Amino acid sequence: MKTHTFKGGIYPQEMKELSKDCAIVDAFPSTKTVTIPVTMGGAPNTPLVKVGDVVKRGQVIAKSDKFMSAPVHASVSGKVKKIQSCLVTGNMEVPCITIEADGSNETEYMPVLDPFTCGKQAALDRIRDAGIVGMGGASFPTHVKLNPPADKKINYVLLNAAECEPYLTVDERTLLETPEKVVDGLNIVMNIVGAEGIIALETNKDYIKPLLENEIQKNNIKNMSVALCKTKYPQGCEKNIVDAILGIEIPAGGLPADAGAIITNVGTVCAISDAFRKGMPLVDRALTISGGAVEKPCNLRVPVGTIVGDLIPDAFTLKQDATVKIVSGGPMMGFAMTNTQFPVAKGTSGITFLTKEETYLVDESQCISCGRCVEACPMHLTPVMIVRELKAENLAGAKKFGLMDCIECGCCSYVCPSNVRLVQRFRIGKGIVRAKMAEERAKASAAGVSK
Amino acid sequence: MTDTKANTKEIYLSSSPHFTFGSSTQWIMATVLIALLPECIYGVIVFGLRALVTIIASVVSAVFFEYLFQKITKREVVVSNLSAAVTGVLLALVIPSTTPVWMVVIGALVAVVIAKGLFGGIGSNTFNPALTGRAFMFMSFSAIMGASWFNPESGVSKWSYALTGASNVDAVSSATILSQIESGTASIDGATMLQYFVGNRAGCIGETSIMLILLSFIFLLVTKVIDWRAPVTMVGTVIVATFVSSVISTGSASIAATDVIMALLTGGLLFGATFMVTDYATAPVTKPGRLVFGFGCGLITFLIRRFGGYPEGVMFSILIMNAVAPFLNNLTSRKYGYGKKAMQLKKEGK
Repeated sequence: MKTHTFKGGIYPQEMKELSKDCAIVDAFPSTKTVTIPVTMGGAPNTPLVKVGDVVKRGQVIAKSDKFMSAPVHASVSGKVKKIQSCLVTGNMEVPCITIEADGSNETEYMPVLDPFTCGKQAALDRIRDAGIVGMGGASFPTHVKLNPPADKKINYVLLNAAECEPYLTVDERTLLETPEKVVDGLNIVMNIVGAEGIIALETNKDYIKPLLENEIQKNNIKNMSVALCKTKYPQGCEKNIVDAILGIEIPAGGLPADAGAIITNVGTVCAISDAFRKGMPLVDRALTISGGAVEKPCNLRVPVGTIVGDLIPDAFTLKQDATVKIVSGGPMMGFAMTNTQFPVAKGTSGITFLTKEETYLVDESQCISCGRCVEACPMHLTPVMIVRELKAENLAGAKKFGLMDCIECGCCSYVCPSNVRLVQRFRIGKGIVRAKMAEERAKASAAGVSK
Repeated sequence: MTDTKANTKEIYLSSSPHFTFGSSTQWIMATVLIALLPECIYGVIVFGLRALVTIIASVVSAVFFEYLFQKITKREVVVSNLSAAVTGVLLALVIPSTTPVWMVVIGALVAVVIAKGLFGGIGSNTFNPALTGRAFMFMSFSAIMGASWFNPESGVSKWSYALTGASNVDAVSSATILSQIESGTASIDGATMLQYFVGNRAGCIGETSIMLILLSFIFLLVTKVIDWRAPVTMVGTVIVATFVSSVISTGSASIAATDVIMALLTGGLLFGATFMVTDYATAPVTKPGRLVFGFGCGLITFLIRRFGGYPEGVMFSILIMNAVAPFLNNLTSRKYGYGKKAMQLKKEGK
């Protein structure tokens, strides 16, 4: 069996052993309240409820008429207590709806729908109505992704089950515990876009392959297969997974659809399956709680909007004075947070509590031009030269060496012996370039108007 | 910010990644020192106590001058990253064991202060520090540096005259095979080749044992401290150029093959390819850049050896290519998403 891979990348310590054997267990916030961001992916929503309203689990509480939007549902039944700005992943304050659960567990789900007979438009509408967005972190509305422009022929749906981020094991557990749901969800997606399906696993999860193949066989799905990828970071990045499995590069500035592929996530296909088979919108989310500072790392399923701190101490506890970084997501691409008072959103795949020994707090030292970043870059860019051009304030030079092609995976910073904050500088550089471009566009349009 | 729930005192914020391989400049330099250790030990075995004195003098003065320079210029003192120590060892290994100590000290000063410190320190220098120090010594003291080779087979005890001056040494003038080849007086047989491969011969302290240099090369490749591209293209270019030129001038492939073997076994080619063209700061960082860099070093080495006034061309070829290295960084690998196929897809999409 061929193991697929790509050029570049790194082999960080996987750290999956901390939580890979822990079954996903249901957890509920100790405060009995959830704080649900009004918008989680797509265009901004408007709240449909006001303080004091009684809502049921599964009821739409915020939405927008824009096509590029995904509605948000109450994840518990209870009373709306507050609608105000709260801290969310990324350390931003955004409008959130706080609901206090009344313990009635009343639900307001949609009717069950057969995805294979309802027709493409009805299926896409169901996915949108269920508020499904990419659960790998990007939170892009799924109904938009599954409806590419007519001129793009989609040949493959790739289920990204690489889970290349260290520590995170929630996809692994989901595949292991509910392979039937994963296969069903992927089959639904394949049916909607009319393409072949490939489940892409990293070799560290090869023991799950027979389970999935068994499930595929049982359901007699002809055009679905399982592919193994080398355990390597960032195997799960869509550009690299398309390259590894299909041998096609996504054109610069393009989308996977340009290469005839749509990439979806394990959590997302499970949510799609639930949306049809149970009529259940995306109200729960499974995530990994891990890191050296966690007493007993685990995988939890919580209502969307659960404040992470409200899971302490019932669902997990932290070692005394051990945490130096609270990361929403994994250590390679996650966001460092100021505290635990932020909600689990649809795109939150894990929370990692890192100790001083696991993360690095040392200062940058001088670049020694070793070229390790060039070797590690999965996009084949020249990180060291981008930094030099940025320091020289030469944006054209930085772009030539690949600034705008950077996927921010962090491989360059990871391998740097001088701890130069390469990708961190690229984010700033990209911001400057984008601001300049917006400025130029504004100027150009102003000039157009005056003519 | 404190967070009672997080059960902690201090939380750090930063942009991702929050994970590192944990490699450091110090670790890299220490690995290079380990790789250089066999050459040092063998050099002392072959050339005696005098070689040990040269190595110690070079390392101590390199580290001392780096410390002094960073103190005087009020920079952060970073001698603990061991890069000055590496420069010191490299310098000692590319000069004859009979070099007077005061000359070694001046060489180290030039290497560490002029070639590196004044250019902005580690990572910022244009020219290889050790080779710049060596070039300075060979130019300034050419009478002593080029003619005072100690022949290990001379019968003079190598342990007895450790600290006496170069003039008392039974030095063999123009003893290197390269100068003999240059003058057409060299005779080569299998035993000579084996002797050169093992390294028991006249020459610079660390350059004589091809066997040990190959071991170091493999060690540095395996530990991923160096990249194969520049060394392999450099040596490959010398092999091809020497063979072709020899076939043209002698018309005999077997003589050409002998010439190729001697080109590899003699002089500083393999030492330079392993330790000098792989120097981070003075070589390109990009993969295609390194290939061209190695090719240039190999070609210039060949040209100097074949047509130049010096018997050995490795040092100058590397220093010349050092000057070009920053421009070679413009040769980059093709970025992801810019291939013909991807561009085609993009066009079709539009």
